[in-house]
Amino acid sequence: MSEYAHPEALVSTEWVAEHLNDPGIRLVESNEDILLYSTGHIPGAVHIDWRADLQDQTVRDYISPEEFAQLCSKNGIAKDTTVVFYGDKSNWWACYALWAFRLFGHEKVKIMDGGRDKWIREGRELTRDVPTYPATEYPVPEKRHDKEIRAFFEDTLEHSRARKPLIDVRSPGEFVGEVTHMPEYPQEGVLRGGHVPGARSVPWKRAVRDDSTFKSADELRAIYEGEAGLKPGDDVVAYCRIGERSSHTWFVLTYLLGYEKVRNYDGSWTEWGNRVRAPIEKGA
Amino acid sequence: MYPPKLQQIVDLFESLPDPEKRETLITYADQAKNQAPREGETFDLEDVRKDEECTDTVGIFLKVNPDRSTHYRVTLGPHVQTLTKAMTSILCKGLEGATIEEVLEVPADFVPKIVGADLVRQRSQTVYYILTRMKSAATVWRNRDRAVA
Repeated sequence: MSEYAHPEALVSTEWVAEHLNDPGIRLVESNEDILLYSTGHIPGAVHIDWRADLQDQTVRDYISPEEFAQLCSKNGIAKDTTVVFYGDKSNWWACYALWAFRLFGHEKVKIMDGGRDKWIREGRELTRDVPTYPATEYPVPEKRHDKEIRAFFEDTLEHSRARKPLIDVRSPGEFVGEVTHMPEYPQEGVLRGGHVPGARSVPWKRAVRDDSTFKSADELRAIYEGEAGLKPGDDVVAYCRIGERSSHTWFVLTYLLGYEKVRNYDGSWTEWGNRVRAPIEKGA
Repeated sequence: MYPPKLQQIVDLFESLPDPEKRETLITYADQAKNQAPREGETFDLEDVRKDEECTDTVGIFLKVNPDRSTHYRVTLGPHVQTLTKAMTSILCKGLEGATIEEVLEVPADFVPKIVGADLVRQRSQTVYYILTRMKSAATVWRNRDRAVA
């Protein structure tokens, strides 16, 4: 059985339990359920909200490098702190937060495999105590690495026209255009259904087992390479509806399979499906 | 504007700063399991289902008294969001004793007053779900009542 390309990027709940008091590690909980952290979290974990903390509050974009430095500082995260992300929904938002940290060049990042649900299922400790940490002197990142790991509409359009690998990680119904929102979720204002021409459908969920832990490297290769036809060295763009599920797939391709050029199109279907004259394919 | 008990809850939330609003929401969410039907209770209408709009099964149990005042109980699957749990407690308490007609006329604009505008946002629209389900049960009961009248 082969190893993940970057096994150090994935840690178990046991590993986290053993490192709760490690000063070089900061646990970050990121959830879809915005009040979930307040109902109980892993001792010592801080809360970073995908929208309130990571996104600009006016423009559909991320915070500035200055704001990122402030966010890290107030959460006791230094440039060399290892940040371990976990959360609900099979770590969607944990992967999204990790991806956003990589946008700002923070290097030491990990995901707790199985996320919050696994920690709770195992009967591990939760607390409602909100920790405070001394502010750090986090240096303002020189730039945001948009070009390296983020795709915009124009990039994705170019990718589609060039028939380069595009992975649509939404549910099959969303991909074929039967629905414009995923099961169990409200409509988020998309006017058209379907997918980006040339995209291949690999729902994010295929990367995880029933307990939300990631499948083995061999299983992942069989899915992304054997079935979807990706090859190491490919220039890949992944998208979903608002960029969180595709962050999950971005993590799989980048850290678990070792693909070096993977970008997350965070505008995703809420941008594409509303864009006037954006080309759309329907059907499987 | 709102049934009196709901108005009291709205007034309480409107008097709170945001951090305390959140804490109060968590307290209400913690009480959601207490809103389930109790041993020996009977209902005029039971509607238990899993909808596309919510992440887990929600059961609405409605008892209507001869004076048309209502008593709601609600069951929630384990995967419903915390805000949905909080709204369940708030609505069970806030609508207790309101008439069928009063329930049907409750405007949804109390939700942002309780939850805060920043929490009513993308991916949080399920805060309206429980109210919708309660009104739906009230509508079914009223239509049945009219049919037999």
